[in-house]
Amino acid sequence: MKGRNTYYFRESIIILLKTKWIGPYLLLPPLLAFMVYAEAYLFAHGVAGIFTLGQRTVLAIWNGSLLLALIAGIKSCLFFSKMWESSWFRNSLALPVSRPSGFWGPYLAVLSIVSAIFILTTGAVVAALQESGRVPVFQIIAESYIPVMWAVSMGAFLGMLTTGTAGSMFFTILLLLGFMTGLPFVSLPKWLFAIIPPVGRIMTLGMLYPQGLIQAVILILHSAVFLMLGRLLFGIGSRRR
Amino acid sequence: MPPYISIGGYADPPRIPCFSIETGCGELVALVGGPGSGKSNLIKSIAGIRPAGKGSIRIMGARPGSIRAREGAVFVFQNSNFAPDIAVRNQLERRIALFRGVPVRAVHKDVADWCEEMELIGIADEIPGQMNRSQLQMLSLAPLALTNPFVAVLDEPMINLSSLRVSSALAIIISLLEKTSVLVLVQNKSPLVTRADKVVNLP
Repeated sequence: MKGRNTYYFRESIIILLKTKWIGPYLLLPPLLAFMVYAEAYLFAHGVAGIFTLGQRTVLAIWNGSLLLALIAGIKSCLFFSKMWESSWFRNSLALPVSRPSGFWGPYLAVLSIVSAIFILTTGAVVAALQESGRVPVFQIIAESYIPVMWAVSMGAFLGMLTTGTAGSMFFTILLLLGFMTGLPFVSLPKWLFAIIPPVGRIMTLGMLYPQGLIQAVILILHSAVFLMLGRLLFGIGSRRR
Repeated sequence: MPPYISIGGYADPPRIPCFSIETGCGELVALVGGPGSGKSNLIKSIAGIRPAGKGSIRIMGARPGSIRAREGAVFVFQNSNFAPDIAVRNQLERRIALFRGVPVRAVHKDVADWCEEMELIGIADEIPGQMNRSQLQMLSLAPLALTNPFVAVLDEPMINLSSLRVSSALAIIISLLEKTSVLVLVQNKSPLVTRADKVVNLP
């Protein structure tokens, strides 16, 4: 039957294009511009070492990626939790729609919106900081997309598991912990590296592409595992309630 | 041909003791019970979004929740039939297109005409929060009028309607009876009780 698999995707896209959901992403350009400006200021005054224009471009791409991951993760937790625990969503499962699409439709809708914003952000960064051509920009952009995808997958899992507020708080803590593990001056117990997603390490190593590919694979696996756990919880929840 | 709706040995203790019922084509059956008697849980079990406590439920011989059971069945819940952030008319169009298996643009005119007939043409473009409960309940009956379901299960379809809309809603439900089996879950004072072919009292 026509539209059976795309029903929730289309409903989610319409909801996500409302100001309250898309609005926070508008914070991204000014925040990113501020960070790039601050970093340029520090480089100019010799505080942060000397970076080439190519390295500054790569750093700006990673800044954009992590900022977007933060906003996307928080908004995903709030959106998924609100959607999946709402009465209208539960009642809509009585329509002749594919029930697994009740999970995948909203997930793909959020991922599509966030991916579009990622493309706009990285496109703007690359256009603004025209790098010298020695940096593999497309590979780095592909690598820097992984934390964004991870954020949406984690948001889907947490949105299924708990309330939006609790999920977004947990997500923020996890992202910050993951970010800290990449900072050279932060020393954490070794076992923590095994369980915390390598969001920071993928960035610091990703600055020196092709280093960081192992962290990229770990982060992809991490997001896949939590996405499947979210799907599992959705299946259990839609049968039991 | 199996019964359109078959409920056998269903129980939802402590509210609903064991009961069984079968409905066929063109039959209007009323399950009557007061507030808190388990009617809303029962419609969720029939829709396959809540497990039945005890007993078995079949729609056109299929298990509740299976795609075969949902294809020809329209469920109207007492509340929360619409997403709060989307204009109701858009939601109706997508749902009706889903039941008919056609693109959304193919149902634009039918939905607009029906809304106009019900004097809801302007208000239908609003989101649910901007409507009163009577308008919202009337609009939730649109899939009954604009699709050809085999089975319709309605939870208190008239409880929020203004007196002016009751006769329109009644006409929609009665017009279904040519080829649809209708199960309504209502309180005793509902006008549907007097029209029903069978009445089952829930305690």
